[in-house]
Amino acid sequence: MDQAGIITIISVALIALGLLFFLGAAIGLFRFPDFYARMHAAGKGDTLSSLLVVLGFAVYQLHDFDFTFSTLEFNLQSWKAWMFHGDGLIILIVLKLIAICAFIMITSPTCTHALMDAGWEDGIEPELKEKGANALAKDIDG
Amino acid sequence: MAMKWLALVAVVFTGALLIYGVSDFPDWGSADSPANGGIEGAGRSVSQTFIQETKPLTHVPNMVTAVLADYRGYDTMFETVVVFAAGMAIFAVLRVLKTVDGQHSRVIRDRSVDGDHQRIIVGTTCKILIPVIQMFALYVVAHGHHSPGGGFQGGVILGASFILLGLSDGMETAMERLSEGKFVAMAAIGVLIYAGIGLLSQFVGRDFLDYGALQPLLGTPDEGWARSHAMLGVEVGVTFTVTAIMFAIYVNLASKGELKGGL
Amino acid sequence: MVENFNIIILVLLVVTAVISLQVKDLLSASMIFGIYSFLICLLWAEMGAVDVAFTEAAVGAGVSAVFLIATVFNTKRKSSD
Repeated sequence: MDQAGIITIISVALIALGLLFFLGAAIGLFRFPDFYARMHAAGKGDTLSSLLVVLGFAVYQLHDFDFTFSTLEFNLQSWKAWMFHGDGLIILIVLKLIAICAFIMITSPTCTHALMDAGWEDGIEPELKEKGANALAKDIDG
Repeated sequence: MAMKWLALVAVVFTGALLIYGVSDFPDWGSADSPANGGIEGAGRSVSQTFIQETKPLTHVPNMVTAVLADYRGYDTMFETVVVFAAGMAIFAVLRVLKTVDGQHSRVIRDRSVDGDHQRIIVGTTCKILIPVIQMFALYVVAHGHHSPGGGFQGGVILGASFILLGLSDGMETAMERLSEGKFVAMAAIGVLIYAGIGLLSQFVGRDFLDYGALQPLLGTPDEGWARSHAMLGVEVGVTFTVTAIMFAIYVNLASKGELKGGL
Repeated sequence: MVENFNIIILVLLVVTAVISLQVKDLLSASMIFGIYSFLICLLWAEMGAVDVAFTEAAVGAGVSAVFLIATVFNTKRKSSD
């Protein structure tokens, strides 16, 4: 199999996996019993699936990338041509997508945390086995 | 209830007027429309003219920026003025100058309480993110000639970074960085930069906002580069105004014009 | 295919616009208005107007949602009509 085929298979696999996790997050958002469980589903599923989809895009960019670096020689001229007119542009796009991945990884969990914290401050009760004001404290202690 | 029906009548009337106006449009994809070069004697269309002339005349690869800041310079200048006026209107409506000391309309949440994880986690994330956002905003402004972006987008992103600081670390922290005097001055300076570049080209002896006249002042090889550089200056002016006004609107809305406490 | 995508986005646009007008909770209305802005940004980016899409993403979905929420926070949360 040639390079383009392998790249396509990897990227499609990553994107499909990401979509699967998206589906899981969406089902969890609708089916879980209380606010905290729903946020947990949305937060985790969303982060992982966005990461996978964007990584899939990044891999897809390598479609025409020359992994043997046949045009690259050890001089400034060839390096410049590679960087600004050749495969360096692909690397630039891949780096941008990876940076997006990093930002998703930082912001999405923080977002979930902030929402959860706001819900807790607003007095949303988690669904517990034992009802009552101190049920959560008991649950945590014992 | 009566107001609602009145509103409905007004909406239907306006919609009918707009639909009536559509009947004057050229047909979809018509060769006779001005955009497609159908006017007799014109030779080529509006879009073709911009596509062919923008790059050689202004040295700006991104046509949208050239049209926005040069060909349509008046329009963009008054857009900036509109943003400035909107900010001033927000000030006029919301800003409260006299407050009895220690009597805010709302209880300010004490964010320094021990174990306030909200502050630690969100604050740390924002501390990491805000420099990156500001860098990106400056990139958007400076790279507007080559890629989508420019003064408005960059200004909004820069303003949003200050708003994020206000949301995560309290409005006082954000106001230390960009105090009231500073952002009001910034908003005015932005409009002044834009109009000043326009006036400068008038003083040299050409029309208002005709940037090509600045060639001798800037010392560029031809008029195109002068237009390119003047466009960057104009975009910087827009950025100043938009950044300041975005932050001003946020602080006034979030604190009911007291500029204390915040969300 | 691309036309179908346009039509799906347009239908969702109308749906979000109507919902954001109809919903009684103003906080929900402003969040749905943010979704509306994102959809219109998607539509513009898909039609090739990247500059406009960028502005819409920054202004409509980013900052104006914050403004609306700040306003709702300082006024009533329920709509009276």
